[in-house]
Amino acid sequence: MKRKTLITRSMVALILISVAMVVSPAVNSLPTGVGGTGIQTSGCNCHAAAPTATIDVTLDGLPDQYNSSETYTITVSFEGGPIESGVNSGGFNLWASGGEFTVIDATVQSRATAEVTHTEVGNDYRTWTMEWIAPSHGRNVDFILHVNSVNGDGSNSGDSWNRLDLSVVGSLGVGLDPADPFTVLATLIIISSVLLLITILYGFYRTNPEAFDWEHLAPWITEWLTSTDHKKIGTLYFIQGLFFLGIGGILAMMIRLQLAGPEMGFISQDQYNQFFTLHGTTMIFLAAMPLINGFANWIVPLQIGAPDLALPRINALSFWLQPFAALLIFTGVFSGQGADTGWTGYAPYVVSAGAHSGVTMWVAGQIMLVASSTLTGINFLTTMAVMRAEGMGWMQMPLFTWSILVANLMLFLSIPAFGIGLLQVYLDRTISTAFYDIAAGGDPLLWSHLFWYFGHPEVYVVIVPAFGVISEVLATSARRSIFGYRSMVYAMAGIGIVAFIVYGHHMFTSGMSPSLRFVTMLTTMLVAVPTGIKIFNWLKTMHGGSLVYRTHTLWALGFLVTFTLGGISGMFFPSIAMDTHLHETYFVVAHFHYVLVGGTVFGFFAAIYYWYPKMTGRMLDERLGTLHFLTAFVTYNGIFWPMHRLGVVGMPRRTHTYFITTDDFTNLPEWAADWNLFISVCAFLFFFSNFIMVFNMLISLARGQKAPADPWGGWSFEWMTSSPPPTPSFDWNNLPVLKDANEHIAHEPSVMGIWFNKLMVPEDNEEVNN
Amino acid sequence: MGLITPLFDDLWNEYVVWSALVGIFTFGWLYHHSYWYRSEEGESPNIDNLQVGVFPKEYDNLKLEITWIVAPFILIVYLTFISWAPLDNIWSAANAESGYFGDECADGETSNLIFNEDSGMYEADCYNVIEITGYQWYWEFDCLNLEEDICAVSTTQIEGSDRPLLSLKDDTAYFATMTSNDVTHAPWFVSFGIKEDVQPGMITSQWILADDVENFLLLCTEYCGDDHAYMIAGVSVHA
Repeated sequence: MKRKTLITRSMVALILISVAMVVSPAVNSLPTGVGGTGIQTSGCNCHAAAPTATIDVTLDGLPDQYNSSETYTITVSFEGGPIESGVNSGGFNLWASGGEFTVIDATVQSRATAEVTHTEVGNDYRTWTMEWIAPSHGRNVDFILHVNSVNGDGSNSGDSWNRLDLSVVGSLGVGLDPADPFTVLATLIIISSVLLLITILYGFYRTNPEAFDWEHLAPWITEWLTSTDHKKIGTLYFIQGLFFLGIGGILAMMIRLQLAGPEMGFISQDQYNQFFTLHGTTMIFLAAMPLINGFANWIVPLQIGAPDLALPRINALSFWLQPFAALLIFTGVFSGQGADTGWTGYAPYVVSAGAHSGVTMWVAGQIMLVASSTLTGINFLTTMAVMRAEGMGWMQMPLFTWSILVANLMLFLSIPAFGIGLLQVYLDRTISTAFYDIAAGGDPLLWSHLFWYFGHPEVYVVIVPAFGVISEVLATSARRSIFGYRSMVYAMAGIGIVAFIVYGHHMFTSGMSPSLRFVTMLTTMLVAVPTGIKIFNWLKTMHGGSLVYRTHTLWALGFLVTFTLGGISGMFFPSIAMDTHLHETYFVVAHFHYVLVGGTVFGFFAAIYYWYPKMTGRMLDERLGTLHFLTAFVTYNGIFWPMHRLGVVGMPRRTHTYFITTDDFTNLPEWAADWNLFISVCAFLFFFSNFIMVFNMLISLARGQKAPADPWGGWSFEWMTSSPPPTPSFDWNNLPVLKDANEHIAHEPSVMGIWFNKLMVPEDNEEVNN
Repeated sequence: MGLITPLFDDLWNEYVVWSALVGIFTFGWLYHHSYWYRSEEGESPNIDNLQVGVFPKEYDNLKLEITWIVAPFILIVYLTFISWAPLDNIWSAANAESGYFGDECADGETSNLIFNEDSGMYEADCYNVIEITGYQWYWEFDCLNLEEDICAVSTTQIEGSDRPLLSLKDDTAYFATMTSNDVTHAPWFVSFGIKEDVQPGMITSQWILADDVENFLLLCTEYCGDDHAYMIAGVSVHA
């Protein structure tokens, strides 16, 4: 590791300047003036290394407090230096943090809207006049003025310069400087946490308003902290998932504020990089995964007729690793040194000295999440293998349970690769091993392989449980059996298998061997087949049905629309010729948000409306639910649909800003800025629309109608228990027995069924019939 | 796609057409069924007689299921097939025997890059080699010993800062060998529709096929740290 000395960028700039001074002491100044941010911070060093205090700089004509949009005539002048006046004796450069300069004579030229300098003619003067139009926003404006006093003979000996900083108060008055985005973020996180605490306390109050005191609260909290009941742990997961969905949303809003217009300065690029990194990590690992695990914990044991999970204490451990991992992941933000690597954390940047120190904690947190996911995988696979109710063969498991099985199997097989990669990065960053030190022979592509070997199955881990939810919701709402139960199961298993051989499509431009890229192009195309089966099966399920429109039905239909769109846009990437253009653009951002928000999040909104009555014993308000669906669905599409086009015309992702075509260089067309503003507005509306659901959940908890055991008419075991279910969920001595409307299936398993049964350890009381 | 490069403009159009067809088919089906098979007010017939604790009656149709395994499969085989051809061109070998762009240009030889409408491929008599190196956070272009007219590197003002400017000649094929000095970057020649990562300790390459007179921005498209968004350069193709 080369982080023995932490050299800030300004120090690098100063060193470079000093070196340049030594190497070429006689660089001539440009007679037409120079500019740029480098000059702005360190001065025109071609004239002298440091400013000369004896040069007297004045900036006249500016008021103490400006009026919005008023025009002021200002004069720049200076005295002192090597010669009094004459040819090539002076120059200046003036920046303003707001407003606009207008040139009124030939001695001055404009370099940008808020930057002016002298012209070649203006080189002969020591006083220049121009106009400044004050901005309309009314905030303070800072001026930075550099003047150069030059000897006039073309050499640099005796040249000197000086700097003047001036601030003009805006019409809004003093004290309205923009807030530090970190402060905003930290404040919002703290507010969210306080709201969460209040909600939890309110939840306790509702359980028994008579006993609202510490003596009852302490054991109640202890019960939640130490419980191994699958329902309580499911609720904890669920609360954590929703909380971080909010935090990830706040991060997304900060990103969208920055991107609302081209070259905005709401957050610095340093902060922007941390925010999008945390947005990705939070949404995948701390929001989506816990939401899935929340429902899996709650529903899987209920669906298979098991009183609890097979390993309840390991289940509690899996959960309690999560909040601490979250704490580690977010540690860096509170010191302004959060992870800034992108959620993919590509090497060698992730181990380079330039990456923030918070990356170490971010990696450590993810190692804990790897442990948590592995334990969860063991737990669910075991539970499903040995605790199914009598009469429930593998091919009679409800599809949501199947989806959790496939997801956990994928996760269980892929996450060790990620864990190994994280450990390597962690060791590289802490004890200077050299796994990713390229100079020491590290492979720059190793991390990408390890990461995407996990990362691609991971995105399917997140989407497959949503498939399970939609299968349950659509079939129940249409009052039908799911169409093609077996092909649904095989399709999910197929997705699970294909997931492992397609990851190379994330690396089509990585410099990986073309033959490998070509193979993954073929395999990636294959993903469309099992996904297509699922979509067509869902559609066919509705055929001849009697679709009851409830909120969860709306979300399931919405899922079909958005997930299909996400699937279609996904088909463009395996075509490598197009991927060389589309890779790492907003087209990709649009695609994966269509799948992850339109797929996973919509799927889990459907799950919330579907299972909330079961979990709490209270019905949700259908009118609020419909309002939530309508507002969220429309604004969601408003966010991500335009992003397709933006990506195609040239907007790269993970960038702090974007560039609109100028006379000199083509980039984004002008309408791109309008669409970005539109997207930002929609993003805020989407963000706030989801509070309708939170409000609905809270209000229903207190005042909702009492829910019956089977409000929607589903068939699986969870609807057999009371709402909410007792603990343990089923009586150990009186476990339910699944009947089958198709007697022939139970006695004649298909060829695949026999084969699959052979792979599995039979239960003690299960006959092996082959 | 606004005609970025003839290499995949047709491909793009064909994909868009198929996307639209699949979309119309799927959404037509979805909207029809969600309207036609909706439950009437107050009515809730239990069509498949779902009962709690009873695995529902089987509802499937092997022919239909095989149909929607086979039909999408044929479509993706076709889409894969049409995506295949341009690969040969974008990953062309850098020699006259098996590549499309001849051998490296001798002194004074012109590249004569053309797009062959019949084969859908770019072809050239010879190509020029240039080098691209990524640094945190700027690009370094090296024209090696090419003539000024064919390849030149200078600086220019973009968005108020000095940025490198790569000047290329129209109708000329370039083979860029690329590496990085520190972390992963990727030069995106937006108007040519190509990008390839540059990695430290590794040489990657890409064909830069200049066939339009235009000036455009080159952007970095692999996240590389603080100034990633501002790691831009100008590319100018002159006649």
